[in-house]
Amino acid sequence: MRKLRATFQPGCEVLVHRVVGYAEVGAEWTPHLRFLVKVESKEERAGVEALKDAALANVAWVQSAALQDGDVVVPHPDRDEAVVLMRESDTHHALFMTNRCNSYCLMCSQPPTPGDDSWLVEEAVDAIRHLRHSPDVLGLTGGEPLLLGAGLRRVLDAVAQHHPRTRVEVLTNGRLFADPKVVSTILDGLSVPVRWLVPLYGHADFVHDFVVQAHGAYDETLAGLLALQANCQAIQLRIVLIEPVLQVLPELAGFIGRNLPFVHEVALMGCEPTGFALANRALCEVDLSAWGSTLEQAARVLRRHAVPHLFMNAPLCALPRTLWPVASRSISDWKNVYASECDRCAVKARCAGLFAWHEKGWKPAPLKAIEAGEVIA
Amino acid sequence: MARVQPFRSRVLPDGFVVATARSGDHAFFSAAEFEQFQQSPASLPLRRQAELRARFLLGDSAPSVGMRRLMNSRVAAKRETVSAGPALHIIVPTLQCAHSCRYCQVSRSLHDQGHTLSTADLDAACDTIFESPASTLTVEFQGGDPLLRFDLIERAILRIQARNAFEGRRIRFVVASTLHQLDAAMCDFFKTHGVYLSTSIDGPRDLHNRNRPIPGRDAYERTLTGVDLARRHIGVDAVAALMTTTKASLDQPEAIVDEYVRLGFGEIFLRPLSSYGFAKRNQALLGYSVQDFFRFYQRGLQRVLHWNQQGAVIREVYASILLNKMLSTFDAGYVDLQSPTGAGASVLVYNYDGYIYPSDEARMMAETGDTSLRMGRIGTPLEALLVSPARAELVKASKVDGMAACQACPYSLFCAPNPVDAQAQFGTPFVPPHNTEHCQRHLGMFDAMFMAVRTADETLLDLFHAWARPTAETQV
Repeated sequence: MRKLRATFQPGCEVLVHRVVGYAEVGAEWTPHLRFLVKVESKEERAGVEALKDAALANVAWVQSAALQDGDVVVPHPDRDEAVVLMRESDTHHALFMTNRCNSYCLMCSQPPTPGDDSWLVEEAVDAIRHLRHSPDVLGLTGGEPLLLGAGLRRVLDAVAQHHPRTRVEVLTNGRLFADPKVVSTILDGLSVPVRWLVPLYGHADFVHDFVVQAHGAYDETLAGLLALQANCQAIQLRIVLIEPVLQVLPELAGFIGRNLPFVHEVALMGCEPTGFALANRALCEVDLSAWGSTLEQAARVLRRHAVPHLFMNAPLCALPRTLWPVASRSISDWKNVYASECDRCAVKARCAGLFAWHEKGWKPAPLKAIEAGEVIA
Repeated sequence: MARVQPFRSRVLPDGFVVATARSGDHAFFSAAEFEQFQQSPASLPLRRQAELRARFLLGDSAPSVGMRRLMNSRVAAKRETVSAGPALHIIVPTLQCAHSCRYCQVSRSLHDQGHTLSTADLDAACDTIFESPASTLTVEFQGGDPLLRFDLIERAILRIQARNAFEGRRIRFVVASTLHQLDAAMCDFFKTHGVYLSTSIDGPRDLHNRNRPIPGRDAYERTLTGVDLARRHIGVDAVAALMTTTKASLDQPEAIVDEYVRLGFGEIFLRPLSSYGFAKRNQALLGYSVQDFFRFYQRGLQRVLHWNQQGAVIREVYASILLNKMLSTFDAGYVDLQSPTGAGASVLVYNYDGYIYPSDEARMMAETGDTSLRMGRIGTPLEALLVSPARAELVKASKVDGMAACQACPYSLFCAPNPVDAQAQFGTPFVPPHNTEHCQRHLGMFDAMFMAVRTADETLLDLFHAWARPTAETQV
């Protein structure tokens, strides 16, 4: 998430706030939310401080060139930093639910920690309340959000209450849905439309369990997927393209076609070169362009079974031309960059580009600018 | 530790072994590898073990919760079509027909009186259709030639549609006819009411006219005139065609397929002739062996594949039915291969004689004197029909799980005894399945399709999977 330089009014609490322009504070103020008023002069600071003195306890000023009106932020006055939880102008909106996890995937971009972070649920509910406009889609990510049990349900219900037109996407390994009690806690009477983004890495238990470094995980994920289907929930399967997965990819595609044809789509995703992926570089660093025929074969098998699919986090120059129609621009705004090679590429505008941290990790393939003449074919 | 899971297997004519798991998945083995699979599966390469696990042929000694639930969901998906309630309702308004086909079992001449459904029975049949819980219904008119009593078709369709204004089912109407009587006014009615036509074309002109004699010896020409009229008035997809394989067809499968391609049909069903009814009396003249049919079928299928390679899109329906069973998670519910049989459960036939029969073949048997498969009078509530003694016998005779002879067969998941066929062939539905022509033919057909799948290249596999997807047509 974004961390931006900012100076705050002394005494400003480390809690979720909405950023509001100095001129708009009158129109947006309500007693139930906290506001950070963007100021640009001594006079405006004084103006905000006067509001506070007039018993409007839920306002404080912030001075920052980087913050935008409507940003949902947590101020950290001690280090002159605002953590932006959500920004209206972003294409992708996501809330971080927990850093705990019951799997330890080889290529995890967000290595889990065991500590209690249940305060994140309160922060998420707060962020949802402070969000000014309803996004079309809100992502909930982790860690493993199902570990929160009723906490996850509170967050989902908060979305339903404050943003009834918003759809939610929950990134989960689905393992805990093998337990009917968890299914009931999360899904009974759920009113918000959710799409569950569930990773699957193998067509046999030992393949998947190796990738997620957790014995029994495969079986639980399958049971979880069936529970989601039984509850008429939408599912996107996610397959991260690291070496042990690419080795079995067409077989995995067939397994999905035969056994899980009810999933709404399958996302085939380039590996994010950060977190555990750096530690397991030998297994995770692949040159996707060398696996082109495997990717085509997997897509072909999914097509045979009429399972919709798309490629994510993979620049077009890393994919065979036949797969461009199913390639998607998927990398979250704040992580998304392009390389110098991309400047003269004819298809940059519809390309997923790269993760910002590819410099420290690796590129998904040697980059190659596509000439305008090549595209027309 | 990898354990072999319950499976059934068979050595194919090409020497490879096909094994099927309870899920309906299959795998091919060489004889040596099959031995290794059975004796010491853990010694197979890990990659192969994963493939076999993914097909439920290998597993753990105590199946885990997820895999067990997955298996149950596979079995449930296969059964869904069976439990949906009667979806195909065949109404036989009249037995009158202008043709006097040598292999036809039922039709009566135009001057014949008394082989026509009463309007009271017709109305009652239309009402019974709605007792089915199925959300998608097909109502098909057969004969005789039902267009000879267009008034009855019109009456039935209007009655059904009036009621469906409140019921909201998806209803597909099909009229099976020679199309000789088709005129512009009928076409207008069919277009307005979304009615499809199905006709018989046995192949090239000479073959067709030989199979289907009428006084002017121009059955072929007149049917094509009807096809043309329907396509112009109703739409290019208004007509489908069915062929019947006679002895005279056996040496010209390519010409038959070519005829369908030339006429622009998207489907051809290389159908064997059933050896009973009127056709049975002409056995020597018309009959042929299962082996004869295989040879004919394989040449015909190769021709269909050839045309697809050339870019002409044409689907062979028999192969599609088998491939659906073999490759798709969702069963299209082909009646003759269902267990218990779909006859009398997925299909009901409302016959001109005022009785309801479990299938088209069953009502034809009644014409030669065997009325044992009658389920009840038209007007009998559906509930009662489904527990009628005739239906109960059919169920008992088609439960593949109870058939000793089917227990070892790898195709028993995709196939079932056909009790109506057995009744026709032996006078009783309770016949050891392997003695029936139905079994001999399907063993050979599945063998051939599995060999074709094993050796298919990627392009052909794409086509096979496309054919395997359930469509409304494969449900009949």
